[in-house]
Amino acid sequence: MIKRIEDWNCYELLNVERTASQDEIWEAYQAALATYQPGSLAVYSLVTEEERTLILERIQEAFQVLRDPKTRKDYDLSLLKHKPYYAPKAAFRKSVGKMEIEEAPAKRSLWARFKRIFSRRRAVVDLAPPDDQ
Amino acid sequence: MQAGGAGSVEFVIRVCYSFSCAEDMDKRIWAVGGGKGGTGKSFVAASLGLHLASLDRDIVLVDLDLGAPNLHTLLGVKSSHPDLGDFLTGRIPSLEEAAAETPYSGLRIVKGTENILFVANMNHFRKLRLLRQIRQLRTQNVILDLGTGSAYNTLDFFLSANPGLVVITPEPTAIENAYLFLKSCIMRVLKLYMDHYKIPDLHRDMLEQIERNSQSLYGFFRSLIEKDRSYGTLLYRAFRNFRPCLIMNRCRDERDALLGRSVADVARRYLLIDVKYLGAVPNDDGVQASLRGLRPFVLERRDSAAARTMRQMAEELAYSIEFTLRTPSEIRIPNT
Repeated sequence: MIKRIEDWNCYELLNVERTASQDEIWEAYQAALATYQPGSLAVYSLVTEEERTLILERIQEAFQVLRDPKTRKDYDLSLLKHKPYYAPKAAFRKSVGKMEIEEAPAKRSLWARFKRIFSRRRAVVDLAPPDDQ
Repeated sequence: MQAGGAGSVEFVIRVCYSFSCAEDMDKRIWAVGGGKGGTGKSFVAASLGLHLASLDRDIVLVDLDLGAPNLHTLLGVKSSHPDLGDFLTGRIPSLEEAAAETPYSGLRIVKGTENILFVANMNHFRKLRLLRQIRQLRTQNVILDLGTGSAYNTLDFFLSANPGLVVITPEPTAIENAYLFLKSCIMRVLKLYMDHYKIPDLHRDMLEQIERNSQSLYGFFRSLIEKDRSYGTLLYRAFRNFRPCLIMNRCRDERDALLGRSVADVARRYLLIDVKYLGAVPNDDGVQASLRGLRPFVLERRDSAAARTMRQMAEELAYSIEFTLRTPSEIRIPNT
């Protein structure tokens, strides 16, 4: 669902994934600075001066948090406590079956599935690679 | 949830959102629009048409710039074939008969008309008939070249396509008008749904607030969903199905190209529209020279940066999984 700008987290402010590298964060920061700098054409007629100043401040704060790996790690942990993160999936995953197979986990054998139902050591069976690998 | 009978509003909603997915899964309709004139909408439409035709696609270009049609001039087509005006005035029974062959293989064009005054102010029923006929054209790919401004006719043609392409140039006037155009599209979608579902007047007041201040979009959806979850979800889905693409035309340097990306980002954040930035077309003085010679630029200067960029965009639109499957989830209007 949609969120107010005040509720955006650092990653949303910089428009990057949570798995973004430091280089990607730097690039996103530069792009955001260019977008919201004073006199930027991109915000012309749509964003008021107060809104532009507010988001620019928040973007700079977000970058200060994410630029340092240590503060970023602490921030990530605080986000995870709030809400677990799931990496985004392809929008049309079902429609690209062949591509999906390459990234899919190893298929369980029939015996492994059988054992999963009756064995108490469920987790071990789940993670076991198939016999042919 | 209460719904009215099979009125014209319902039909527009059906046409707009079931256009490409309900009746003909394979038909692809693109619309090239944007608020300001002179940004290169017709150039983009003609270039995309030519490139897609060169990819062995069967293309029909429809010049829906009702006030000032000139797509045929960009293609160098001069023929006395029946045009859009002949269809709208009933001289020919179907739009298919107005689709004239061009010298370019796989490409046909429905010329706009300059002979009949006031076609630009076509009434609601003519517009619906035209939309139906576009859907029934015997081709898999249709490109609509729209006019300037945010009149209901232009908005409805733009909303009927998937995706719609907004063309801007790196000028404040073009950007201002593009935001206005996108806002008008949002308002049109929401108003159509609100009128149809007879959502209380309170929400109409909220819509008026959005017209004044785009920032209240968030508050509008929030309060609507809190008040009535079913209506709120319906409107939000309708709104999110509007996913246009953005093209920055006439870029002179890298900064202009980045400006296009920034505009898409700002629209995503402040108008909540899922805008996809297709790319930047470099400025090329050869376009004017080609136009004077009545020759399509992308054929005359195939190796220019602008022609190559247009080709890449056409290929992305034609082959990308994202666009192939980017049909909106269909919103059915309940009959009871």
